[in-house]
Amino acid sequence: MSSQLMAAGWQAERRRAFLLGLAPSLLVLAVITLVPAVALLVASLTPLSLTDPLATFRFDDPLVNYRHLLEDKRFIDSVGTQLELSVSSVTLQVALGLGIALLLHGPSRLLAATRAAFLIPMVLPPIVVALIWKILYTPDISPLHRAAEALGVPFSSLIANPDTALWAISVADTWQWFPFTMLMVLAALQMVPQSPIEAARLDGANRWQVFRFIVLPHLRPVLVVCALFRLIDSFKAFPLIYVLTNGGPGTVTEVTNYYGFVQAFNFSYWGYASAIAMVILAGVFALAALVGRLGWNHHHDPQR
Amino acid sequence: MTTQRRQFLAAGAALGAGALLSPLARAQAGGAKKYAGVTLNVSTFSAAYPKFLQQALPEFEALTGAKVNFDAPSFPVYNQRVDLELSTRGAAYDVVNVTFIYSSRWINSGWLTPLDDYLRNPNLTPADFDLNDFLPGARAPETGRDGKLYGVPWTAEALLTASSRFDLVQAAGLEFPDSTDDLLKVLRAVNKKERVAGFVSDNHYGWTFVPYLHAFGGDVFRKAPDDLFPTLDTPEAIAAADYYANLLREFGPDGAVTYTPDQVIQSLKQGRVNFTDQGQLYLAQLGDPATSKTIKTVKFGLVPKGPAGRFPGTAVHGLGIPAGSKNKEAAWAFIAWALSKQTTHKAVLAGYGSPARKSDLELPAFRARQNINGTDLARLAQDSIELASRTGHMKYRTVSVYPQVDQQINKAIELVATKQLSAKQAMQQAQAASIADLKRAGLSL
Repeated sequence: MSSQLMAAGWQAERRRAFLLGLAPSLLVLAVITLVPAVALLVASLTPLSLTDPLATFRFDDPLVNYRHLLEDKRFIDSVGTQLELSVSSVTLQVALGLGIALLLHGPSRLLAATRAAFLIPMVLPPIVVALIWKILYTPDISPLHRAAEALGVPFSSLIANPDTALWAISVADTWQWFPFTMLMVLAALQMVPQSPIEAARLDGANRWQVFRFIVLPHLRPVLVVCALFRLIDSFKAFPLIYVLTNGGPGTVTEVTNYYGFVQAFNFSYWGYASAIAMVILAGVFALAALVGRLGWNHHHDPQR
Repeated sequence: MTTQRRQFLAAGAALGAGALLSPLARAQAGGAKKYAGVTLNVSTFSAAYPKFLQQALPEFEALTGAKVNFDAPSFPVYNQRVDLELSTRGAAYDVVNVTFIYSSRWINSGWLTPLDDYLRNPNLTPADFDLNDFLPGARAPETGRDGKLYGVPWTAEALLTASSRFDLVQAAGLEFPDSTDDLLKVLRAVNKKERVAGFVSDNHYGWTFVPYLHAFGGDVFRKAPDDLFPTLDTPEAIAAADYYANLLREFGPDGAVTYTPDQVIQSLKQGRVNFTDQGQLYLAQLGDPATSKTIKTVKFGLVPKGPAGRFPGTAVHGLGIPAGSKNKEAAWAFIAWALSKQTTHKAVLAGYGSPARKSDLELPAFRARQNINGTDLARLAQDSIELASRTGHMKYRTVSVYPQVDQQINKAIELVATKQLSAKQAMQQAQAASIADLKRAGLSL
């Protein structure tokens, strides 16, 4: 009995020691993550405007910003634009990253060099990527437009056309971020066991069947993680839009994040911009949960 | 222009290096320097005059003993950074640029220090500083509702019209367009001649379109700064938007709505586009023999008049002191030095293109330099600034909520030019959105 008590006391003491040891890091973590998030939430409950911060930091109508959001057509449109951009760019990135990884998966030096070259877009600063695409999309100076003209298939500015502007940004975003999926898939391909592949080949499976029924199930968790990461990141799309279209023409490329930026930094409406940021945060959480349910644990779930 | 820029910067450096030899420095050399130990943080956006001042800083430091950190980021970065800093009454900056479109917001929110007491104090302001030497039209936007001065202007520029291939206009037997009707007639005659597009403008339409809005009899607000009810959906405003968006759609180069100021100037220098309306400082680059292919065919004029008259856009930037600064007296000493007759005079002689002092504008060397292919750019700009100060039509631009409406105008013109909406729909949408934005700012409309 006394030994049990002693053991329990020791356990409690150990927990306390762990907690004490962890306390400084938890405190730092709270300061750098929770405090700004709480500040954001608090600001979103006020009509705070930096042009008159004293008079506007008040809580008499805490849901005013959220009510305005429901009536703000530009905000609602921006959510639609955001979803369109996120879905198109993430789908393209995952598909392209997977395809190129499969093509480049192999031991040769040439493939290794090509793999390294494909990583370049991902390591470039976002603003440099935006400038590269600004040049490509500006008809007067674009090698892309000149080549198309030389081939007899000229086309108009993609970023000035409301039908193509969002796709133009999606393509640029895909160019920058498909290497992320490629890298992850290449790593996962190293882990795919060879014996089932050999067995399938002996049974007469063709390349597509091997990929579809053996390789792809192994890659699925990685693809889901890639999609999730990129999806979350796509909600933060900014430099490409800022440099290429400024949200235009009109508002066809104005995503929610960019609209929040305009409200905060062009108009000084910090309360309203904070409410927009809270909606984005909630949206990201919801999407992350949804994507996680779709496939995150599927491969490892013993019940299924 | 490259040579001129080098001369300009070299003059700044020489001004700095010559500091110890100046009479003022010699006078102070015996005693302790007044602001020894003080560090001043100065920030403006990156432009020719601030670059000159950066080169000349050793003179000020030698005269006063103060150390100066001079930061000059790009225009949008500067504005966002300082807007945030001023709004928190921070002490990070001692001298800032009072940006034209933010001037009312910054001044009337109490974020800047009134300069009148410093100006009146003979111990702090040299007798020859002469505030009245600054153009009245340039001082007006730096003045608060209380009548006090919050910034001393270092640049005053106007929006003008330029034709890079005026030879094509002459070949068509036409004159430089004086009215909006003339402009249309000229563009129809020269558009796409020799593969030169007719017209393009900086896609900041809240700046480039507004002279046309006024010319058609419209306005941004009912009566700025007292009645800020937006008036973007009036028949005049709709007609102006239709006219202007059509210039871009019918006569613009491919991708016209994406053109930034640099792209506009580049396209005119290369002779790819004929007409534009742009600020005088940008247009002066068309007179650079090293980079402009159209220097021999370029011509400038005032923005066209419309049914309601001529209303050129103007912009003024000045140096001011944030309310939160801990070194206000030394900050004023910096402004008094940076915009003294001696300093601005040297800058102008070294190539500076848009001074705000009348005495600088009248310098023969300056006038000669502003003469580009037979057009006196400085005279056009001065006429525009004087016209603006008489009519008061630029008051719309310095009200605290203009950035919100400015955005709506940008969007509306893009929507019409890219055929997403008719002029009527776009301007009605801009009107409704502006009202919502202004209500959010706490205005009761």
